[in-house]
Amino acid sequence: MLPYIKLEHISKSFGEVKAIEDCSIHVGKGEIFSLIGENGAGKSTMMKLLYGIHQPDGGTIELDGKRLEGLTPQKAIASGIGMVHQEFMLVKEFTVLENIILGFEPKKSLGRIDFAAAREKVRRYIEDYDLDVQPDKLVQNISVGEAQRVEIIKTLYRGADVLILDEPTAVLTPGETGKLFDILRSMRDDGKTIIFISHKLHEVLEISDRIAVMRRGRHMATLDRAQATASKLVELMVGREVKLDGRPPACEAGPVVLEVENLEVLGQRWLSTIKKVSFLVRAGEILGIAGVDGNGQSELIDAISGLRPILAGAVRIAGEEVAGKKPGQIRRAGLVHIPEDRNTRGLNKEFSIQENLAAIHLEAVSRWGLLDRRKLAENGQTLIKKYDIRPDDGRIKAGTLSGGNAQKIVVAREIEGGGKLLIAAQPTRGVDVGAIESIRGYLNRAKQEGMAVLLVSADLDEIVALSDRIIVLHEGRISGELPGGDVDMERLGLLMTGGKASETEH
Amino acid sequence: MKLSDVLSYTLIHATLRSTTPILLATIAAVISKQASVINMGIEGIMLFGAYTGYVAGYFSCSWVVGVLAGMAVGVLLGMLVGCAHLRFRAHILVVGFGVNMLALGMTRFMLQQVFGVSGALVLPDPVSIPSIHITALESNPVLSSLLNDYCILEPLSVLVVVGLWLVLYKTAAGLRLRSVGLNETSAMTAGINIERNRFVAITLSGLFAGLAGAYLSMGYSNMFVENMTSGRGYMALAAMNFGGGNPLFAMGGAMIFGLMDSVGARLQSFGFPSQFVLMLPYLTTVLVLTIAMVSARRKEKAMILKQYRDDGRAVEAP
Amino acid sequence: MKRSIKIKPGFLLALLFPFVIGAVVMLALGYEPLDAYRELLKGAFVGNFNLGTTLEKFCPIFLTALAYCVTSKVRYFNMGVEGCFYLGALCSAGAGFLIQGLPWYVHIPVCFLCGVLAGALWAAIPGALRAYWNVNELCSALLLNYVAIHFANYMIAGPWSAKGASSQTVPIQESAALLRIMKPSRANVGLFMAVFLYAAVFWMFRRTKIGYRLRSTGSNPYFTDYIGVDTKRMVLLAAVLSGAIGGFAGAIQSLGVYGTIIDGFSNNTAFDGMLASLIASNSFAQLPAYSFLIAALKTGALGMERFTGVPKALIDTLIPMLILLLSMEGLFEPRSGRGRARKKLDGKRKEALR
Repeated sequence: MLPYIKLEHISKSFGEVKAIEDCSIHVGKGEIFSLIGENGAGKSTMMKLLYGIHQPDGGTIELDGKRLEGLTPQKAIASGIGMVHQEFMLVKEFTVLENIILGFEPKKSLGRIDFAAAREKVRRYIEDYDLDVQPDKLVQNISVGEAQRVEIIKTLYRGADVLILDEPTAVLTPGETGKLFDILRSMRDDGKTIIFISHKLHEVLEISDRIAVMRRGRHMATLDRAQATASKLVELMVGREVKLDGRPPACEAGPVVLEVENLEVLGQRWLSTIKKVSFLVRAGEILGIAGVDGNGQSELIDAISGLRPILAGAVRIAGEEVAGKKPGQIRRAGLVHIPEDRNTRGLNKEFSIQENLAAIHLEAVSRWGLLDRRKLAENGQTLIKKYDIRPDDGRIKAGTLSGGNAQKIVVAREIEGGGKLLIAAQPTRGVDVGAIESIRGYLNRAKQEGMAVLLVSADLDEIVALSDRIIVLHEGRISGELPGGDVDMERLGLLMTGGKASETEH
Repeated sequence: MKLSDVLSYTLIHATLRSTTPILLATIAAVISKQASVINMGIEGIMLFGAYTGYVAGYFSCSWVVGVLAGMAVGVLLGMLVGCAHLRFRAHILVVGFGVNMLALGMTRFMLQQVFGVSGALVLPDPVSIPSIHITALESNPVLSSLLNDYCILEPLSVLVVVGLWLVLYKTAAGLRLRSVGLNETSAMTAGINIERNRFVAITLSGLFAGLAGAYLSMGYSNMFVENMTSGRGYMALAAMNFGGGNPLFAMGGAMIFGLMDSVGARLQSFGFPSQFVLMLPYLTTVLVLTIAMVSARRKEKAMILKQYRDDGRAVEAP
Repeated sequence: MKRSIKIKPGFLLALLFPFVIGAVVMLALGYEPLDAYRELLKGAFVGNFNLGTTLEKFCPIFLTALAYCVTSKVRYFNMGVEGCFYLGALCSAGAGFLIQGLPWYVHIPVCFLCGVLAGALWAAIPGALRAYWNVNELCSALLLNYVAIHFANYMIAGPWSAKGASSQTVPIQESAALLRIMKPSRANVGLFMAVFLYAAVFWMFRRTKIGYRLRSTGSNPYFTDYIGVDTKRMVLLAAVLSGAIGGFAGAIQSLGVYGTIIDGFSNNTAFDGMLASLIASNSFAQLPAYSFLIAALKTGALGMERFTGVPKALIDTLIPMLILLLSMEGLFEPRSGRGRARKKLDGKRKEALR
């Protein structure tokens, strides 16, 4: 097959970081082409170059034999390239229809928008691909799945022949994912070229015609679907066999540390609203919360840590009622918390490493309200050594560190923060393999030292590897509980879809 | 003078009169806000517009030239603000306040150099923006007060607000401008030129601020006084905030401030200390803004709660 | 890590450009620009009176710049310093003439306390409105300035009036007056207090727990909430602190400079201070230089007007022009450099208030 899209010898750096190095990828016309790799392997960056959001430092981009230079999103759209971003590019105050036509509005006299014509055109796409979308709803009132379909219509409306989807399934339930795949297949059958970015092997194996693997900014190989197997792909993605379990024997579970009772919390949308959730975490155990992203995990953690108001219910930490209290008071009751987003919450990038490390126990490094610089530096050095944070100069700004080291600052600060309950939310998201192993080790150690750990992760392998018990969150409710150890993955998957997968499939 | 004299039907006319300069400036504030730029320079641009309009009108003996000159100066200053903020990345507050201070200094300087006066400039026989007088209404004092003798910019400014609403919510240009203000990255990926949209918005904002100034000196008062805008530009920003960027709601805000302005003017003859009367519009503005924010927050909370219960019911009932 | 001070040619050009324009205007109006600028310099620096006046003017600009800077550290844009400045001056003047029979070492602190409290309480209003009800502080604080000024004018013209020809309050007691330095100018020991206050605030932000929390609130409020600091309270605290500094500046005016309070004495001093802080990119270290520059220009303008007839309003025009030019990054830099500066600033701009 003659390549339709040719990305040749592409390289791209952001500051000191080399995101892409001499990477060449060819995509054929009318195929579903998958791009896989670990977080930070450069998949998204590669596609952002094709869509003109970033400009490559070197290399060429060709579409259908024509070289594309100085790409901008505008030019990419004009050449028939469309992209569905990981974060949706929708104006939430606009209606679905307004979002679709934005920038390409059909007009009547005096620059007025011809809404009738627009609606007609959009209706055609909806019918052609059987997309379940209501054009007149405000975007802030639609579900994630629908928003994604809006994004797809948007690209079609702009005349895309090539459709790039960046991690489209991360926010979908398995049922919605199946629906999306049906849509993608029918689009391929219409002659559209689809580039699918993912790090989930089973999805890639299900949908792709060809699969390209990237690792650390380089193109490792492109395989036909027929040649590809899961183990082969893993080897290409990671480059070595990874052992990520090493789970220590379960500890003797101690007294109850966290008690959540009939908790109700408003979420961004109904799907993520917490509805009467109750559970316990004991000292010396890790309770894992599994579930598809956006089913209330963030809301649950935020509510426990006082960062989001609680509608009703009780939260007790070591017997103390903390529902409705402020984050500071809850921390004093014994909470330490590795937040899911280290870039906004976990770290202050303007502050130095040692200032970040001291953030939750300023009292320990100060006297009479004055920061003691010597103690601050000492505290920093101790933690830097103990958690192997690099670089080891505590005065360096935290914003300059790599993902793994930045996360280690957060982990070090919280685990050493002297709490009884540790919430670890996505503790290894966007972190390199080496750091993943050590961070999981720290969590296990914390548990052995008698902390109660509440682990929330989108990474099922992580949940299975670490948890002593697992509860599954689905649409803001607990759909079931499993013991840790040898987990019945089929049952886990079933619970993540609300335990009704067999009914919705047909 | 009795209280009924303060709150009589003639207040309506007076309110519309004192609303107009704030309203025109509010239009300026709304346009730039829709592109998510808070144009603090409106106050200074108004003052420039007031001076230029008054002087140009006087020398050309034509109010049209005066108004056009005020608007032209507004456009130029708008472009200056846009250029400094967008092209050279100056902080919008610095640019805005820089322009305001520049307006204060420069008009004072020009007043001294050109006319040799300081403080107020009252030219003999100045031109003013004409009013519409309908003779047929003279016989009825009430109707005459309500409908007669409006300076043409007064009804026009209301029309502009409605027009602006139509442009913002019904045209492609409006949709694009709003998208720039609401979600920059979405607009960018839709191929919309963010910088250009912002620049145009700031320039238009300057145009209306200049017009507001020209009205102030040529329609509202027939003279030029140093710092005669006295915070009307800031009130316009408050009105814009009150309306959440929607021109129709913002007009409501501007009218409340206009009302307080004209009520205050009447209270003065009641023997209230003039300073308290003068602070009335500012105090009400802050009060109204606070009430608006508090009630908006209440409403939002109530709505989310209602949504929660409704969604719950919709989902629970199979 | 030592920072070396680099002065870019673009910076110098931006600094000089307004004066070139000023020279052109002077030539067009038939004045001699070189004479005028010489008098400007003389008027600002030469002789006890001139240098003293520059220092006298420097004091309130510097302190109001500090007041603005303090709140900008928590991303609160306090446009209300002018109001605090007025009320601080008013209340300290009130305490200065109403309270009698105290020795100076009690009377002066009491007067300062009154001024500081007035400023702090006044700033607390928009601060609390913003922190707890999300009312935009840009508008509320700005408009409250007018309320404060009109109230001060009422007190000056009414209850506290000296009943003389000019509109001013009863002169303060001898025991409340600050010691003058550099006579015959009105510079006074308030200058040293200002410098001390500046050092104290600077040090507080760098070295104390409260300072850490304030800095953290400004640089990342999400982080700050998450580590258990009440950011709303921090915003309010910064606003109150800023108001207190504004009130302190006002007290120096009434106790040190005027000995009374005159109608319209401030004439936008706090806005000069705010602009000084803004062009210093809200960095404590750069505040003194820019405040001094503005004060020197304002003082020199008086001498220039007296000896050459060039109106002082011209300098009032050149100062904002200077500020506008200084705020534009890369304006006078070669084209290629501009693109780079732009890219670097893209991120910064997104943080700018929305």
